[in-house]
Amino acid sequence: MSHEVLGFDVTADALLEKAKRDGAETMWDRKAAMKASCGFGEKGICCKNCSMGPCRISPVEGKGAQKGICGATADTIVARNFARTVAAGVSSHSDHARDIIHVLHMASEDGNYKVKNPEKLMKLAKEWEVDTEGKEIYQIAHEVAEVALMEFGKPFGTQRFIKRAPEPRQKIWKDLNIEPRAIDREVATILHSTHIGCTSEVDSLMDMSMRTSLSNGWGGSMMGTEFTDIVFGTPTARSTEANLGVIEENMVNILLHGHDPSFSEMVVLAAEDPELMKLAKDNGAEGINLVGMCCTGNEVTMRHGVKIAGNFYQQEMAIVTGAMEAVLVDVQCIYPALPKLAECYHTKFIATSPKAKMEGATYIEFNEEHALDITKKIVREAILNYKNRDRTKVMIPQQKSKAMLGYSVETIIDHLDKVVNSQTDVFETVKPLSDVIWAGVIRGAAGIVGCNNPKVQHDNSHITIMKELIKNDIIVVTTGCAAQAAAKAGLLTMEAKELAGRGLREVCERVGIPPILHMGSCVDISRILDLVSRVSKERGLDNSNLPVVGVAPEWMSEKAVGIGTYVVSSGIDTFLGITPQVTGSARFVDILTNQLEDKVGAKFFFEEDPTVCAQKIMERIEEKRDRLGI
Amino acid sequence: MSLFEIIYTGSNAALGLAQQTVADAIKEKGKDHKVAFPGTAYSLPVIYAATGIKIATLGELEGALGVVKSLIVEEEDMGKALNAGLATAVSAEIIEGVRYALSEDPYKNETGIGFVPDSIIRSLGVPLVTGDIPGIAVIIGESSDKDSLGTIVKDYQSKGLLTFLVGNVIDQVVEAEVKVGLEFRVIPLGNQITSVIHVVSVAVRAALIFGALKPGDLSGLLNYTKERVPAFINTFGPLNEVVVSCGAGAIALGFPVIADTDVPEVPGALLSQKDHNETVRTSLEARNIKIKIKELPIPVSYASAFEGERIRKDT
Repeated sequence: MSHEVLGFDVTADALLEKAKRDGAETMWDRKAAMKASCGFGEKGICCKNCSMGPCRISPVEGKGAQKGICGATADTIVARNFARTVAAGVSSHSDHARDIIHVLHMASEDGNYKVKNPEKLMKLAKEWEVDTEGKEIYQIAHEVAEVALMEFGKPFGTQRFIKRAPEPRQKIWKDLNIEPRAIDREVATILHSTHIGCTSEVDSLMDMSMRTSLSNGWGGSMMGTEFTDIVFGTPTARSTEANLGVIEENMVNILLHGHDPSFSEMVVLAAEDPELMKLAKDNGAEGINLVGMCCTGNEVTMRHGVKIAGNFYQQEMAIVTGAMEAVLVDVQCIYPALPKLAECYHTKFIATSPKAKMEGATYIEFNEEHALDITKKIVREAILNYKNRDRTKVMIPQQKSKAMLGYSVETIIDHLDKVVNSQTDVFETVKPLSDVIWAGVIRGAAGIVGCNNPKVQHDNSHITIMKELIKNDIIVVTTGCAAQAAAKAGLLTMEAKELAGRGLREVCERVGIPPILHMGSCVDISRILDLVSRVSKERGLDNSNLPVVGVAPEWMSEKAVGIGTYVVSSGIDTFLGITPQVTGSARFVDILTNQLEDKVGAKFFFEEDPTVCAQKIMERIEEKRDRLGI
Repeated sequence: MSLFEIIYTGSNAALGLAQQTVADAIKEKGKDHKVAFPGTAYSLPVIYAATGIKIATLGELEGALGVVKSLIVEEEDMGKALNAGLATAVSAEIIEGVRYALSEDPYKNETGIGFVPDSIIRSLGVPLVTGDIPGIAVIIGESSDKDSLGTIVKDYQSKGLLTFLVGNVIDQVVEAEVKVGLEFRVIPLGNQITSVIHVVSVAVRAALIFGALKPGDLSGLLNYTKERVPAFINTFGPLNEVVVSCGAGAIALGFPVIADTDVPEVPGALLSQKDHNETVRTSLEARNIKIKIKELPIPVSYASAFEGERIRKDT
């Protein structure tokens, strides 16, 4: 398989050749070894929820086993598997959020973690009716954190942030009885209900999946984003560079990979430590070069401009360059293959989270009490490893692109203020965005998110869809590995406006933004929910009325399923570039791609061809515009 | 109807009218009948600047209808909608061209002056470049309140702006006892909406004369007017499709439109300002016109616009 489908990735083939020479195994080798995947698993009609099984249902109706031993049908099995996938995704995001809230809870004036954005904290305190009268900022922080921590396991009530949704949306959730309650409870309920002999009713499983996913989008992820902004600052527009070319020949290269900003932020601090910088020089390096990957990379680039080494599929390639002194990981989307791969080189692979200990890794446990001391120790290890680099085995692709990012909702609104006429409008609203959509200057908006998946050409679907949409005056916001694909392709630059249609180009020029806005990591998709909901509220409408879509062109993780489900449940159509493992139940497919629209005003679309997918997105956007009469 | 649909409707209406006007004129005078505006070296300036083609006869004018048609591509796309706006401008120029072809001075019985000759544009060049004329206001329609309209025009006048009037606002401004005429920088163009082309033609010729733009370089032209001609449009009263379509033409040239009715707003380009007391401020901000004013505490208006004023016994 050629990897040279995209101009910005001309070195993937060379690196994979090198991997072969170095005796290193990559995901493509393992994918090839997998041969054809199991048809039952592919269709979601394999169940091993009890030891009577595993059971599998014949994919042909009326022929072969039509039920599991307990009597569960293909519909039930598919819906249960789907629900468990959602639960896993939700738990990942929410556990991530829990950690950052704990960090705020322990924040102090002279500690490692501080309140960097007191305004956002005060806003949240007010929103949640935490009494701030006469209290100093850290006391307020601790109280707000305690309220937040209760969101995970409170015995009564629903998630606080659902009140941020447009009112018609809140009503839909209430009427369907899918208002999310405590986050952990929703996850546990799914695990309960998908146990053998519990829920078999397919619609009920779907409703549970939606409710649980909402506890993420409007719970875990939203809190994760809010609290990360409070502790580390709200992102503002800044520039950086992306792709493997950001790895430096003569510096100590440290790769930050994973998700948790409470760890990565401390590494950023440690890497700026003058003593460690001196140590790097003493060891013959020009300095310390911190580079990011996946969502932790997004977090630190959004706030500090740390360069992006790459996205999900490039995690092995970064090591194969032979120039990586250390790979520091915490949780989520880290290949268990990496420690073994690192052994082919001098690279130190360091796992830091008790939630993600990895076979073969050096384990240095990170804990928040001694955050800076630990990260300094880790960075020191990396520096001392510089001398072990085998220069004959180094090959750094000279590919990198400039990128502008840091577009939080607050920053986007700041930019929109530039075009507000102070005589006719007020500042600090999304009205300019809503106006250009209504006038037709831009046709709509798409949130393009998600992972990489070796089932399709890496990044190709992301970039094809993005280019097609901006060309047709659809503004794109992006997060996660999709955002990093855009960064590498040079789409996150002001110059990229030349690829946009006339209307979007005009908007980019006047507002001073790229046509594709990087809004952060995968928990930061909550920023997109926030933005869309603000536009809905501006117009007195529901999210499902807006010409807005979500797209996951190359998704792979359970988190992505959790995300897609809360996006649809929030009234936003979601296009999946990889068909989920549900096709064994025509009924469940019909629920996802059809019936959900009657319930929540939005549905899933499965389309694996990126060009066709872009076409369908545009058709759907025009359909929504027609319904609005705009 | 979506905003773009309104624009296309207006552009098609203007095209239909232009087609009819040209056909009638040809029936009356024949294809070889001469077409020209008085006092210009730029033929029909909008068509000339956009296409590089000089029109001399009714027959050639008929050919120019093809330009209009090609500019109207009815898709939901802003670039195409702006082109349709330009099409309306060309239609208007065709219609006005026919008026001048059929009559020595079609504006004889109007307060409006109609076509603005090159000599006037050249005389405006220096004050425009020096910023002595900080902006060009184009006022279209009929105001619900002639007094506030008069105040607006006087305000522009006192700030040194050049104001063009199109439609019933002309009579209203005169009734509000605002002095009109080139020397007062308040220029009535004509009562029909098509007269608005005579101010577009001013902007376009400014690009040809002062910007030394090559005729036919449409994108260069649009860039010049956007960057260098500080014009904006104020519309008063309800808007029909043709006016909206004209507005799209103005936006294509880079001129924001400020309406006093509800419109689908486009930040920086199409705004709604119902409060006539705020029209001036809104407009100047929308076009980014900054005026350094040294207010003198004197009992009469004071501005370079009054420099050409003559004192007569009866005033």
